[in-house]
Amino acid sequence: MNKPKVAFFDFTSCEGCQLSILNLETELLQLLDIIDIVEFREAMSEKSSTYDIAIIEGSFSRDKDLKRLKKIRETASVVIAMGACAHIGGINSLRNNQTREGVQKIVYPDNPALYETNKKALPVSAAIKVDAFIPGCPVDVGEFVKVVKNLVLGKAPGLPTYPVCVECKMNENTCVYELGKTCLGPVVRAGCNAICISNGGVCIGCRGLIPNPNINSQKDIMEKYGLDMNLIMDSMNLFMTEENKAKEV
Amino acid sequence: MTTVLNKQSTKDGVFDGLGRALGEYKIAALTKKDGKVLFDYVTDVRKIEQDYTPTVLSPKKFFFPQEEVILEYTFDGKVTAKTNPEKIVLFGVRPCDITGIKILDEAFSESHGDPNYLSKRENSVIIGIDCKSVCDEDAFCYRVNSQNPESGFDIMLHDIGNNYSMTIMTDKGRDFAENYFDSSLFDYAALAKFNIEKKEAFAKAGGPWEDLDNLPEIFEENSNHKIWETEAERCLSCGSCIMVCPTCYCFDVIDELALSMKVGDRLRRWDACMLRSFAEVAGGENFREEVENRVKHRINRKFNFLMKKHGQSVCVGCGRCVRACLADISPVTIVEELIKTSKTLKLEVKNNNLYLPEKVTITRIEQFTENEKFFEVEFDNGRSLGHEPGQFVQLSILGIGEAAISISSPPSYGNRFEMVIRAVGDVTNKLKTFKTGENLFIRGPFGHGFDEKIQKEMEGKHILYIAGGIGYVPLRSLINLTLKHPEKYEKLSILYGCKTPSARMFTDELEYIAEMRNNVEILETVDISEDKWLQHCGLITELIPMVDFNPDNTIAIICGPPVMYKYVIQTLKKQRLTTNNMFVSLERRMKCGVGKCGHCQIDDIYVCQEGPVFRFSDIENKEEAL
Repeated sequence: MNKPKVAFFDFTSCEGCQLSILNLETELLQLLDIIDIVEFREAMSEKSSTYDIAIIEGSFSRDKDLKRLKKIRETASVVIAMGACAHIGGINSLRNNQTREGVQKIVYPDNPALYETNKKALPVSAAIKVDAFIPGCPVDVGEFVKVVKNLVLGKAPGLPTYPVCVECKMNENTCVYELGKTCLGPVVRAGCNAICISNGGVCIGCRGLIPNPNINSQKDIMEKYGLDMNLIMDSMNLFMTEENKAKEV
Repeated sequence: MTTVLNKQSTKDGVFDGLGRALGEYKIAALTKKDGKVLFDYVTDVRKIEQDYTPTVLSPKKFFFPQEEVILEYTFDGKVTAKTNPEKIVLFGVRPCDITGIKILDEAFSESHGDPNYLSKRENSVIIGIDCKSVCDEDAFCYRVNSQNPESGFDIMLHDIGNNYSMTIMTDKGRDFAENYFDSSLFDYAALAKFNIEKKEAFAKAGGPWEDLDNLPEIFEENSNHKIWETEAERCLSCGSCIMVCPTCYCFDVIDELALSMKVGDRLRRWDACMLRSFAEVAGGENFREEVENRVKHRINRKFNFLMKKHGQSVCVGCGRCVRACLADISPVTIVEELIKTSKTLKLEVKNNNLYLPEKVTITRIEQFTENEKFFEVEFDNGRSLGHEPGQFVQLSILGIGEAAISISSPPSYGNRFEMVIRAVGDVTNKLKTFKTGENLFIRGPFGHGFDEKIQKEMEGKHILYIAGGIGYVPLRSLINLTLKHPEKYEKLSILYGCKTPSARMFTDELEYIAEMRNNVEILETVDISEDKWLQHCGLITELIPMVDFNPDNTIAIICGPPVMYKYVIQTLKKQRLTTNNMFVSLERRMKCGVGKCGHCQIDDIYVCQEGPVFRFSDIENKEEAL
């Protein structure tokens, strides 16, 4: 079996997803038996002008990044958007409902001109065609390994299309709504094994919406549990500003 | 199976015995873990919770776990089946869950026995604890008679104070009791007292549904009931109801290769028919794409499909899905609504005299224009109208007479429906004096509307609605139906013309439609403009060339005053639309509504029977048609 060459790239992000992958440690060595990592700024200084699989972290938020993204697309036969920023715009897209000037003033109050940015932070798919994605903030490393394995085997990535509730119930968690909290689990893609809820939190939607979510019902439920529409939208927009826009139209 | 044995032991004796059994068995029981009560393995019998709190998952997970390996293999072709049976005692299972286990026992043993489930079951001893009352307000075991199982367990304990009275059902149970439980003298009177008190408590809760045994037929009769749609609208398709159900047993099979790429497992994992991808095949075709179909499927499995097979309700009334559903969807609501409807259906058949009207109550009136009023009415007998868009009813006021009125609400509107009535004749003029809460009489629905065949034909097409004046009213039934799923059509264009802006009806809805965008558009015109009218002014035929449509994939649906049809049809023909792609809804005088009185005839056609909806090519050669 010819090992595919894999390169990692980062755009607007915290680079935490790449760090998670480095934290795989023992599995990382096994992973190297099936893939060749040829570029990975966080782990090595070598670069490569050829690669088969490009794994991109971060959202697309500056026009000047377009050239680099297009170059990646031309070189790689498979492009994977890794993590919430690349997959759905993520936290970065929170600013998409504000003005650029306002945001610049908040981030660099003294010298806003230093901060070059587009009006919006968008998923990588807004710039180039993406073949697969690995959701999450950060990505679930088990899922990362699974997607890579499936690609090497020639299978579909195999991500769940069902919501977090399925995994949450399998873990026999008490529904957080019963505890007086609200949660986006019913409309957000599973695959994280309901990690936040199983550890005392709630789902805040980092993995993006499932295909065909019943947003109206989700809003009604959150309203029934005492949230007003502003709080509901704040909660839904934390990671999914762009996804929610796409659903509205 | 052996004859039923009755024994008795002190409670301490039972727990001491369980403690001794820990050497030979793993013991699963109700216990606390991270603050929640659930069934789990215990290593200390003092950690067993004695008071029952309903758990998130049922104990089926010990025999049919969330995920289990069924095969192990190496990439060079060595395959081993895995069953993993362990000797376990499952202690403290409640009657509803035992009934659930009984159903799973049947499901997993029939035809091809399932080795993974059955081997675990064979190696288990199930000790139940009987319920003396209903555990909480969501449980409805008493409705489906699951509180007194006769199989699915080895020993059942009945709490009679300091002692447990024991009903021993199997050889396995007898051996276990002999080995581990001290026997004290069996007190028959104490067990009888327990049973009487239990019976009274459950009867007080309500007793079984009167029609429990007929549920499969009732579900068959009501496969198009509106409740399926109203429940589906709220459903999140989150799968929670299935995950927590003690009798759901669908699963997915997944191959997982180790990172070495040399060995792997084949797993089975719980799956759920409520999830959108459940019935999706590799080519992308989904056999249960609509939520409504999935809700219907799940509930039918419990009370119809599988109920016929198992001879009892496959829902055991544990209430877990009711507790888990954030959208408040409950089998109880659905079953009780269907039972209610089937009762009225039966009543209807008894009262099927053709000319006998049924009483309705006016629930809402709105003055639309000077001469037109909107009426919403409700059948007093609770039935729903069950009409197709384009049909009409005969509305009557006793002493005044009957009039044919078209229905303006879409189907599945519950036991209510809507009409817009213009005061032009005796009946409709009298109607002006009616108020909310007063009664009218209705016969119908009658005629041939936009039936399922036409609705199917419309899918994927550009639909051009052309409504003139009050002609919007009969079309609204179909318009609103199609607006529920605009994605089913290439485009929905609504052309609506009125004399003046103040003659427009359903203005809120028109505004809503105008905001829908995507593939929905509305174009309006008036003959005479008034202040603030910003849209087109002129004849409705002038709107037609403003719509960009491909005549090969377009269906026009026309309803309006008689004079309008001729010109609209001429204009459409100019745009190369053929008459077999035009539908018209015609107005005629009607007295009987059932093809007898002769008032509505066009040549040899009775409008009330074959119409009022016609494919225009079917009638264009009839002299009287337009």
